This record gives sequence, structure tokens and C-alpha cells, in this order.
Amino acid sequence: MIQKLVNILLVEDDEVDVMNVKRAFTKNNIKNELFVAGNGVEALGMLRTSIVPLPRIIILDINMPKMNGIEFLKVLREDENLKNISVFVMTTSNEDSDKINAYNLNVAGYILKPLSFEKFITSVATLKNFWSLCEM
Amino acid sequence: MAKSEKSCQEELSALKKEYEDFVYIVSHDIKTPMRAISNIATWIEDDLGPNADVDILNNFALLKSRVGRLENMLNALLELSRVNRTEMEMYEVNIPKLVEECMATLDNKLNVKFHINYNLSNENCITLGKKLNKVIFNLLDNAVRFHDKQIKNVFIDVSENEMEYEIKISDDGPGIAAELEDKIFSIFYTVNSKDVLDSTGAGLTISRKIIEMVGGAIQYTPAVNNGSIFQINWPKIISLKN
Repeated sequence: MIQKLVNILLVEDDEVDVMNVKRAFTKNNIKNELFVAGNGVEALGMLRTSIVPLPRIIILDINMPKMNGIEFLKVLREDENLKNISVFVMTTSNEDSDKINAYNLNVAGYILKPLSFEKFITSVATLKNFWSLCEM
Repeated sequence: MAKSEKSCQEELSALKKEYEDFVYIVSHDIKTPMRAISNIATWIEDDLGPNADVDILNNFALLKSRVGRLENMLNALLELSRVNRTEMEMYEVNIPKLVEECMATLDNKLNVKFHINYNLSNENCITLGKKLNKVIFNLLDNAVRFHDKQIKNVFIDVSENEMEYEIKISDDGPGIAAELEDKIFSIFYTVNSKDVLDSTGAGLTISRKIIEMVGGAIQYTPAVNNGSIFQINWPKIISLKN
């Protein structure tokens, strides 16, 4: 069986956070292709036009302009072609309401963005362990 | 014409809410650029490699430690603004068990001796359990954290009268001068420089806000032997305002 790497769609509006994910990928020696969308609307476009090829998982920020993470998740779960994609929420929001909303929309994990880059590398390594299982 | 008491009350509630929302939004939104500072510092440090000048590396460590402080302060502000909105469940707690849980979650219990004394006719009460836990934890944490002796004695006395529980948490540590009593409850105030002992200075502020919310009281008195005594009066029946 040929192993197929999952494609990662990062939905994130903050430039530094995008760079952070890219760096953490390098540090963890992650070779998966990374696509970036600046908000929910852009992400839906990239998924629907298959700019991000299958198989794919999504790393999602909550606080974003235009369409925020929770709004994006609602649309995603109602879309027949997209509703089964694994989504990881990655956010600064420690609000219970955001966590509950996210889990109600069937997310695979909820990661709080830590202050230190070292801790972030560990979070990303954990994520990789998860999607590696999907690649088998 | 003087405003009616009712409209004053309404205005006060609206102002309080506005203040809490403001503190929450500001502290939340400041987190993103703050994290960026910390992350970019790590990247530069990383890019400089292991042979970078020691002075530069020391300054990076300082920069990151100060951003860490900033994060603690923002988290404390967030917590303070949310005191009356989160963890507001009333449930039955067993007081000795709750105290035990607080002791168990303390970071560093090395060389700490707890002396516990209960004088209670009923150990169970229905109260805001998470809040009572927070207050007791904060006071125990302070008693241990700022203790300056080899063996750290911490005393916990819980008794009751008809209306309230009297919880006394004291220690034989350095104590706090009586004239500082008002200051220690101010946010971010620390008796020693934050460089001597890294602490945020928010535990007592948050504790007092919780205690005032439930209609109780907290009082500090210096102990005779240089330690500190904090006495909490926690009402048996809690009626929340607003």
C-alpha cells in the first residue's frame, strides 16, 4: 500500500501564527503539504474547488474576520462533501462557550495556543501523531 | 430631580458589566501580539544558533521572562473580570475534603507541615464549591510560596457560628507589616520585588473579590511570631447580588 500524506489546511488570519505553524512543521520534520486560508470564506473556497487535495485535515483558528471559526464549522458540517473532514481548533480562546460550540460541531481536538514556541512544537507533534494514524 | 434608587442601581449594574466586558476584551485581544513577541524572540534566538554571544542570549531570556509575566498578568485580569460569571455552581462540599484537595494541588509542599483543626457540627455544606476552593487554595499557596523558614508551618482552622464559617489560614513565615494591609489586596501588588520572587500579585485580589461577591469578609493580621493570619468569614447561605 502506498502511504498518502494528508494535506493540511490552516485557517488562520494572523501572519505570525501562520509562520509559527510553518516553523513548528520544520522543527518536527513534518513533510505534509500546508495550505493557508486567511478566514472561513477563503477556506471554504479552497476546499470546494479542491485546491486542497484529499485526504485533508483542517487546523482552525476561532477569532477571525469575515467568517470566524465557529461559523465556518457550521457551514462545513452542513456540506455533504466536506462534513467528514477532521478539524482541530487552535485558538487563544479559553472560553467555555467557544469550547462547547466547537465540540458540538464535532471537532477532533481543541488546542490552546501556548505562549512559548517550545510548547507549541510539542502541540504540533501531538497533532502529527494523530494524522499519521489517518495516513496508514 | 434626584435619580430614583432603582435607576441608580440599573446604571451601576450596566457600568459594572461594561467594565468587566472591557477588561475581558482588552486582555483577550492583547494576547495575540504578546504571543507574537514571545515567539519571534524564540525564532531569532534559534536562528542565531548555539554560538551566539552570551549577553544576547541572556537578554533573550529576560525578554521572554517578562513576556511570561505579562501573560500571567493578563490571565489574572481575565480571571478577575470573570469572577462572578464562571464556576458559579452551588453544590454540596465536604469542607475537610475540600481543604485536602487544595493542599494536594499545591505546587511545592517540600518541608511544609500542615496543622489542621476543625470545629464543625456538620462538615458538609451547599455552597459555591469552586470559589471556596479557589480562595483556600490561594491563601495556602501564598503561605507556602512566601515562607522563608526551613520548616514551613501552615495552620488551618475552620469553625462555624450560626451564620457563617470562620476559616483561618496562618503561617510562621515572614509576615506582612500591618501598614501594608490595604495594599496587599491591590492587583499586581507584591511585597517583594517581582525579581526576588516571581509572582503576579493577583491571588489576594481575586480571593477578596470572590469573598465580597458571596457577602463574606477577609481580614489580615500580623501574627505575634512574625507570621501572617488571614481570616475569612464565609456565609453559610449565599445570596448573590445582581
